[in-house]
Amino acid sequence: MISWSDRVAESVAALRDNRLRTALSVLGIAIGIAAVMIVSTISRGGNHLVFSELETFGLNSVWAYRDWANDSPLERQRSGSGIDSSDVEAISEQRDALGIRDISPIVRTNRNTPARRGSRFANIQLIGANVDYLDIVNDRVIAGRPLMRHDEQQRLAVALVAPDVIEKLFDRNEDPIGKVINIGERRITVIGLLAAKSRDFLSSIGSAGGENANDRMIVPWTFLQRVRGDTEVDHLHIAVNDFDSAALVADDVVGLLGRRHAGNFNYSSETMASYIATTDTILGGVAIVGTIAASISLLVGGMGIMNMMGTAVLERTREIGLRMAVGARQQDILWQFLIEAALISLVGGVIGLLAGAGISVVVVWLTGFPLLPSMLSIVGALCVSVAVGLLSGLLPARRAAQLKPVEALRTD
Amino acid sequence: MIALNGIAKTYPGAVPVPVLHELDLGIDAGEFVAIMGPSGSGKSTLLNIIACLDTFDRGMYELDGQVISSLNADALAAVRATSIGFVFQGFNLISRSSAWRNVALPMLYTGANAKQRYGRAQELLARVGLEDRADHLPSRLSGGQQQRVAIARALVNDPSVLVADEPTGSLDTRTGHEIMTLFDELHASGRTIVMVTHENDIAARASRIVTLRDGRIIDDNRNTATQGFDS
Repeated sequence: MISWSDRVAESVAALRDNRLRTALSVLGIAIGIAAVMIVSTISRGGNHLVFSELETFGLNSVWAYRDWANDSPLERQRSGSGIDSSDVEAISEQRDALGIRDISPIVRTNRNTPARRGSRFANIQLIGANVDYLDIVNDRVIAGRPLMRHDEQQRLAVALVAPDVIEKLFDRNEDPIGKVINIGERRITVIGLLAAKSRDFLSSIGSAGGENANDRMIVPWTFLQRVRGDTEVDHLHIAVNDFDSAALVADDVVGLLGRRHAGNFNYSSETMASYIATTDTILGGVAIVGTIAASISLLVGGMGIMNMMGTAVLERTREIGLRMAVGARQQDILWQFLIEAALISLVGGVIGLLAGAGISVVVVWLTGFPLLPSMLSIVGALCVSVAVGLLSGLLPARRAAQLKPVEALRTD
Repeated sequence: MIALNGIAKTYPGAVPVPVLHELDLGIDAGEFVAIMGPSGSGKSTLLNIIACLDTFDRGMYELDGQVISSLNADALAAVRATSIGFVFQGFNLISRSSAWRNVALPMLYTGANAKQRYGRAQELLARVGLEDRADHLPSRLSGGQQQRVAIARALVNDPSVLVADEPTGSLDTRTGHEIMTLFDELHASGRTIVMVTHENDIAARASRIVTLRDGRIIDDNRNTATQGFDS
């Protein structure tokens, strides 16, 4: 019985005999596999990028705020945010019952608040928050110290400063910790530096409120209340214990605020969970469209193989008859053509993988997506390509194997 | 060696065409049988049946004591590989393969390794006088040389029967006689040969001439005089 190495050698010889046709079929599969690779790179990289940017808001985030849109004309005359220090205290006390991990009141200044240091200026935003805020939004202090309880209690003029502000107000080799930044007539001392955060992609699609996360200064919320001379809070930023119950927690908090203010204000909420669900839907849709497009190109490649093998069987009918006449069994003929098809698609798959990887690197370089190579997708692509080859080759190969030796020998 | 009993075959169709009528034929080891007859007499069909390439409707065929009519496709392939050597009119060499690879082709399907195949192919190429052409492609060989390669291929698994269908039909007279000389030599060395031909001078070299007409044997003539080589 013929050995497998001899089978492969026979198939290779046949493929070498028709180099151009073989090369074209290999190309068809290579393009299909490369397309699958590139789509998967873009899809995975894009996903990772978007989610890493969403993470800068805190994936477990819930925002509760006064809902101006649903106010009646009478209600609208009431000024203020509808949330104050006592609400924060009340909700904090019930945090376990509500399923809240952390809660920070947020008091903000305008986005383009001028900050000065000596002769240098920068437009920044002051965000007043409590000691838990850094955990809620995944901020990291890379130098100095975070906010402490006593900063809050003493309403101290201290700040954690984001990198863009440092760059605008300080010399490169200057240590900002302990230095003073002027906001209006207030003098704020830098106690810590925040790690840079990227929201470039979300900002570029007009999302994230147009906010640059890197020109913030985080100060104690009580300090900004002192500056403003009131006890109001602009909104509540909450991190829930359980991602899946974010909507429930948000409803409970809104309900609680409504009861505490006896129907004087309407409240509303947003959850990161709902944004993530929307993002998932959009990215999933894009991935499906891309996958379908790539699959079609792989399918076309497979049909190329089917066509090539069909032609080969027709052209080599006499050869098939001869092989049968000298002792080849039906399965020997079947395997010869199946191996030819599998070899084409395997070589095509490897070339497609290399090309896909190369193009992926270029795409990653152009878009700034992270490159996330996956062994699974590489092995998967090779398996798929061989399977495509075998399936495409099966029909022509079966036709060849079922030829009758006399009839095959009679053809011209 | 070959025993055909009551072999009948009809080509199916709107008008079924009978090609062989209850045909009986026995061939002993060492015989050189020429099958003659006008075209359509069934001589090629008979040869294909002997070579286990074609099937038949009724009757029994025994080759080397093996009942061929009862074998399945794989077993038939094995018989073709080991017991039959077929020489075609049109050579049927694989054009992309060198002479020695063509000769060794039947050994692929009996599972011989590359070393055995090469050695045996060289041996047979030497036997047909082409030892210096082993690496040539068929396109670089003359018609007579191509047929010699094909004969070497037919002999490579040392079959019990050498079957040839008009082996000189594609060759000029002189080359045809050279090929026939080779068959004479093979016959002289004891090889059993069954050959279809329509040329009388070719048939005259056989030890026995079987003549067919309309699927029946009308003449079976043992020619004891024509033994041996051209004089």
